[in-house]
Amino acid sequence: MSDQAILRIEAVEKRFGAVRAVDGVSLEIGSREFFALLGPSGSGKTTLLRIVSGLEAPDRGRVEIGGTDVTALPPYLRRIGMVFQDFLLFPHRTVAENITFPLKMQGRSAVEREEQLDWILGFVRMEGLGDRFPHQLSGGQKQRVALARGLIARPELLLLDEPLANLDRELRKEMEIEVRRYQEELGIPFVYVTHNQEEALTMSDRMAVMHRGGLEQVGPKLEVYNAPATRFVASFVGAPNRLSGRAMQDDGERLLIDWGGIRLVGRAAGSARPGDAVEMFLKSERIALGPAADAAQHENRLEGTVRDIIFKGQFADYIVRADNDVELVVSGPTSVAGVERNARVTLGWPVEAADVFAVEDGEP
Amino acid sequence: MKARRALHLDPRVRFAALVGPGALFIVLFLLLPLLSIVVFSFWRTESYELIADWNVDNYGSVLGEWIYLKFLLRSLAMAAVVSAICLVYAWPCAYLIAKHGGRYRIVLVLLTAAPFLTGILLRVTAMQQILGPIGLLNMALMELGLPPVEALMYTNIASAVGLVYLWIPFMLLAIYLSLFNFNFELLEVAKVCGAKPWRAFLEVTWPLNWMGTAIGIVLVFIPTFAASVTPRFLGGPDGSMFVNRLEHQFGSAGTWALGSAMGVVMCIASLVVIFLLWRTVRLRRAGYTGAGA
Repeated sequence: MSDQAILRIEAVEKRFGAVRAVDGVSLEIGSREFFALLGPSGSGKTTLLRIVSGLEAPDRGRVEIGGTDVTALPPYLRRIGMVFQDFLLFPHRTVAENITFPLKMQGRSAVEREEQLDWILGFVRMEGLGDRFPHQLSGGQKQRVALARGLIARPELLLLDEPLANLDRELRKEMEIEVRRYQEELGIPFVYVTHNQEEALTMSDRMAVMHRGGLEQVGPKLEVYNAPATRFVASFVGAPNRLSGRAMQDDGERLLIDWGGIRLVGRAAGSARPGDAVEMFLKSERIALGPAADAAQHENRLEGTVRDIIFKGQFADYIVRADNDVELVVSGPTSVAGVERNARVTLGWPVEAADVFAVEDGEP
Repeated sequence: MKARRALHLDPRVRFAALVGPGALFIVLFLLLPLLSIVVFSFWRTESYELIADWNVDNYGSVLGEWIYLKFLLRSLAMAAVVSAICLVYAWPCAYLIAKHGGRYRIVLVLLTAAPFLTGILLRVTAMQQILGPIGLLNMALMELGLPPVEALMYTNIASAVGLVYLWIPFMLLAIYLSLFNFNFELLEVAKVCGAKPWRAFLEVTWPLNWMGTAIGIVLVFIPTFAASVTPRFLGGPDGSMFVNRLEHQFGSAGTWALGSAMGVVMCIASLVVIFLLWRTVRLRRAGYTGAGA
């Protein structure tokens, strides 16, 4: 991995006044990787991306692209592409001129520019639109042009700063698949900044979760999703139920907790010891739901009453009031036999569906 | 109730009532005088009197005789040079204010308009006090045992310096307003795409702000072309401009017909300059997307 890393970030730090926007971040990104940088707004992810692009200079640390130290290089010498949230197409240039701008800056001949343009217009499915001006395009088309402009010179690295945030939901779904295809077919590593966990999980191979200028967890996306390393990651990734209780007993990997009189077992993910105040993060889609006995095979089990069923289209959220009067959200199929409003149900889930962190394990 | 009934007037009557006074004012005080000048320019004057004897001799004189043509060319050259100096000087100022002025932007822009708090005569006289033979500059030089700068004593150069001083706020404001609406993030995009800073300026900043710049050029060129007080105060013996000759026709010379022809020529020359600049502005290429687009 480290031998073929295209991007290597070492101990990068950036302050704005008293704020540490990026606080000692180190990261390596491989040569064919789709890497997502996920974090809430203000977590420093965009600043980190701007440092990689050269638009911002780090106070400390090094940035290497393709084995070359670029920390002191201006953006125009870094051989990167970049796509922005607001598209930022040149309004006075046609689609064709926008897309071939990087080639023009490299001094490529008109013939070569024309060839590359034909290829990429086909690649991003914008054939025949080369003569349009940006204001004549829809949002999705604008972002395709921006992507084409970022990719046409075949950069060593493409940086994407929330590129789909300005598109409506349907279009975003379509573009997620599109962007993923670009990355797979061209084999250029993408670094994709987003605050939308769904986007990060849909598109990336690996991801990092950023919080207050630092990296909370870096790893393959399923690992981040299934085994959050910190309390913040557990709360930010997925849509978990958060159960507050007290740790009772631990046997290394598992932790027994007392949740308002109900005993539950979860994965011991943080530093909780028996007696500590803890939170259990329980993924709503991993809870089995049924009339009485069905959920019996799971280690964790509890009884409750269905208070409401929220239909969401492809699935439904069941709001279940447990016998200790705390409500849980269970995601499941839109209809489950024997489950309706006010029905008594049994919930069950495996140990690994729930991560237990001590409350002291850092603010989420 | 009465007011309400007034609102229900015939739309044509209401239109006439609203537009009428303004239109009448323009017709009476702008179009009629202009028209009369055009008419006079085809007449001739004899012993201080206008005679309706239709001819084009006045235009023959203005455009054909060197004593008039010389002044026309001098005025055009002066206006061109002053516009160019204002352009080169105002661009970096406006750019710095727009990009780095932060919350002081508006103060900095208003400061450039501070000279307008006094009248033009006072300002030109002040320039005289600085550039003239016993002015601040040359007195200071002589105190230091250095020779005075003769080029600035009642010459066309002094005239140009004065005109730049007078009209540069218009250029600065026009460029500033254009840059105020310019998205500087586009420059970051250009740099990431491989453009060096100067290339990014030429490819992005300049074309997207050309329309505002052209407006600034017009705002400086036209009044400079028509300036009479400044060259008279600062220009010295060779500083007389086309406008000064024009004034002379309506004054002591009393040749109103010739003066009218000179006025028409000035008007057309100004329109030609505006037209030529307008031709360089291609709205789409200036990033203009039309209303609401």
